[in-house]
Amino acid sequence: MPQKRSVLLVDDETSILQTLRLVFEHEGYDVATAQSSSEALGLLGRNGNFDAVITDLNMEEEDIGLEVARAALKAKPKPAVVICTGFASMSNSRTALDLGVDYMAHKPVELNDLISALNRLIARHRDTEGRK
Amino acid sequence: MTPKPNMSVPSRMALIVHSDMGALSGLQTALSAKGFTAIVARDLPTALLAITHHYFEVAIVSSQLAEGGDGWPLAGVLHLVFPKAFVCVVSPVEPDVLTLQAAINYGVREVYRQSTPAPQVVDSIVKQLGSGARSSSRTRVQ
Repeated sequence: MPQKRSVLLVDDETSILQTLRLVFEHEGYDVATAQSSSEALGLLGRNGNFDAVITDLNMEEEDIGLEVARAALKAKPKPAVVICTGFASMSNSRTALDLGVDYMAHKPVELNDLISALNRLIARHRDTEGRK
Repeated sequence: MTPKPNMSVPSRMALIVHSDMGALSGLQTALSAKGFTAIVARDLPTALLAITHHYFEVAIVSSQLAEGGDGWPLAGVLHLVFPKAFVCVVSPVEPDVLTLQAAINYGVREVYRQSTPAPQVVDSIVKQLGSGARSSSRTRVQ
């Protein structure tokens, strides 16, 4: 039986976290949430075993979500890392590309696209890990 | 077991997909100079054929093949088929936020301006690959 997929959602807006939690639980995910980058970094440091991490960019500080992405990309096994932002700029988009972020969604997010991308990325990551 | 002395070392394969013959030629020459075997394709069917025939470490795709933006999905396919390959896109316009978003979402590692000289593009690719290509080179046109 396939293992249940897990996702860490990081956003300082409670309404967005709750909405995404409902959406991804409905999709069959185990969902963990963090309302700040520091909380997310703590979760990644303690456990870190998520299939995917979806993070906002602007929380305690501008573009601080890039630090969440950076930490997630160092985790082993590496989760699929997605950035959701309403404040994309050349600077943060360039950093995300250089970091190797897997997906970038601009708010307002098209949920079907996000779910589809996440399912694809996780399936691919699991396939890659399985072949090692 | 010692290796056979005359065993040939396979060269590194690169795919270039661009509708402009001059751009193809420039990139092919620059890649060959760095020890890559460069396969070139001017359209999507030829590129797909090449994907089924070779294992590519590098792919350079124009964002515009038959029409504007149609190179991006091909770059995405190349990333899916060759997950460890350095897939990059050549764009006729200065990359903006949406271009960088497309690059991230299609698994593209870098976006170059079409006006960037081919040797500069290839130098950047080789640098980002982390090690120089082997010296033996072959070129082939597909």
